Amino acid sequence: MVTTVKDVKTGAEALTTDKELTAPAVKPVTLPSENPVVYPLTLPEPAARTQTPAVGQRASRPDGRLHGLGQTKYIDDLTFPHMIHAKILRSAHPHARIISVDTSEAEAMPGVFATLTGKEIPVNSFGPTLQDQPVLAGDIVRHRGDGVAAVAAVTEQIAADALEKIKVEYEPLPAVFDPVEALKDEIKVHAPNSNIYASKVIRKGDVDKALAESDHVFHREFRTQFVEHVPLEPHSSVAMWDGNGRVTIYSSLGRITLGREDLSRTLRIPQNRVRLIGTIVGGNFGGKNEITNEPILALLSKKTGRPVKCTYTRGDEFVSSTIRHPFIMDYTTGVNNEGKILARKIRLVLDGGAYCSWTGTTIGKGSILAPGPYNIDNLLVEAYAVYTNKTTTGAMRGFGAPQVCFAYESQMDDIAVALGIDPLEIRLRNAFSENSFSPTSQVLQSVAIKESLLQASDRFGWKE
Amino acid sequence: MLVKLKVNGELRQADVPPETTLLKMLREDLGLTGAKLGCDVGDCGTCTVIVDGDSLNSCLMLAAKANGREITTIEGLATSADLHPLQKSFEELGALQCGFCGPGMLMSAKNLLDKNPEPSVHEIKDALSGNLCRCTGYTKIIEAIQDAGRELSGAAAGN
Repeated sequence: MVTTVKDVKTGAEALTTDKELTAPAVKPVTLPSENPVVYPLTLPEPAARTQTPAVGQRASRPDGRLHGLGQTKYIDDLTFPHMIHAKILRSAHPHARIISVDTSEAEAMPGVFATLTGKEIPVNSFGPTLQDQPVLAGDIVRHRGDGVAAVAAVTEQIAADALEKIKVEYEPLPAVFDPVEALKDEIKVHAPNSNIYASKVIRKGDVDKALAESDHVFHREFRTQFVEHVPLEPHSSVAMWDGNGRVTIYSSLGRITLGREDLSRTLRIPQNRVRLIGTIVGGNFGGKNEITNEPILALLSKKTGRPVKCTYTRGDEFVSSTIRHPFIMDYTTGVNNEGKILARKIRLVLDGGAYCSWTGTTIGKGSILAPGPYNIDNLLVEAYAVYTNKTTTGAMRGFGAPQVCFAYESQMDDIAVALGIDPLEIRLRNAFSENSFSPTSQVLQSVAIKESLLQASDRFGWKE
Repeated sequence: MLVKLKVNGELRQADVPPETTLLKMLREDLGLTGAKLGCDVGDCGTCTVIVDGDSLNSCLMLAAKANGREITTIEGLATSADLHPLQKSFEELGALQCGFCGPGMLMSAKNLLDKNPEPSVHEIKDALSGNLCRCTGYTKIIEAIQDAGRELSGAAAGN
């Protein structure tokens, strides 16, 4: 049916006529000054736990039923017609120059469809803060987890066998593993650039003067270790490059918008040609926040015209996916005889591994939280992130917060023991209260640390 | 090589290369993707299935070795009419978070309750010693198994 002007008019007329039946014929027009609107300014204070009917109620996961039935489809559970499998060859050295990569023997194997090297990646760099990480190593490998070449074959087993036929000639370079050594810049991971690739300084008051005036000064170095996320579901993706030059990727990635940007960059195609589908993730914990093998699979799919899947082995997970930053934390704290903190001087060295990844976020959060939830008038925090020839460190639950918490709370205990003050009491004497200033002078509200400490210690019977 | 087995009460067969594990055969040849591949070395337990009344890591068993045996996977736990009590209590008590360990946990739990419907916390921990949950939701998993055990033994007593 064709809508004519007449039809529209009739419709509009009908609407206005109907409306007039219920609405007042003439809307009273008044100026604001003549008729001030009175809002109910004394709103009822919502009692805690009654703000929404959801608070305090038991909730069940909407996907719990399928999880329990084993019907949830994670990436590795997906299969597509004519799908082939990819494997990635990892570096044989922590730091080396790649002289040559010969994939001809692997390509000649029956069942092998295609191989890929770093030179074939259109833009071979990505990263959420600095774009310093190659998809597959170009001229230099910077840690043992760097991919050097990839193979797509009819089965995973053939792809794994083909990796052994790839000949890579390396010229080993001296490597640096200790972040304190790396600070000296004698061996550069990203030559000619310095190993220090991120830093942060927070200053408040006069820390040296306050330390000199303190009754007691405590000093100690704390260290934490690498931690791998170990999601039970390994990283997994499937890429399909279609005839129209569009690529569809199913991935275990947690941040698909960021991933799409990185894919668009590395594949040098506009974002509207990248369709990235994230499904249910079998554990992320920060380790699935950036792309890993997706561009490799996309290019292998482009070469072969088939869907290409790659699921990391547990070994790939440990060597090539990101892990938690180890911190070296040097704490000097001045207190008076009552245990009140007068000054705190902190130096953090973050072991960044071979590439930046989420170090920007980690160093920021780690530095701001490093003094702890305590009122300290004189403060100096210096933090440096350095490259080493080790597994890349990135996002993991807390972005640096758990590392510094270990250090400042350990030192609070040291001070409490030395001064003979109850460990709970020394925290209460120093802790933030309402409208306290954070180390970066943010005014803090809804501060319940003292109440929480008292309630918790009461419940587990600290006094006894 | 031709492998014939009974999966969830049904006779199934597939022609697989000799190095194929039972897990791979279930997932890729029989389309049963409930059992997961987590570590492929028998550490994490996401691939747990029940073979002739014993829960085991299907990533460590060659498909050929399962020839002629009876396998129960997560897909065989519910009937078309109802969920297994374990599935109900896991869902209701929030014992499944990312869900990846779930199928393996449930199969280990089923194997335990089949043999011991009222296990102690210690016995549950022992039965789950081969299953990891990286979301660390163990407390709720243990509660859910106890809950299902009570329902199962209650139903048995009622009969």
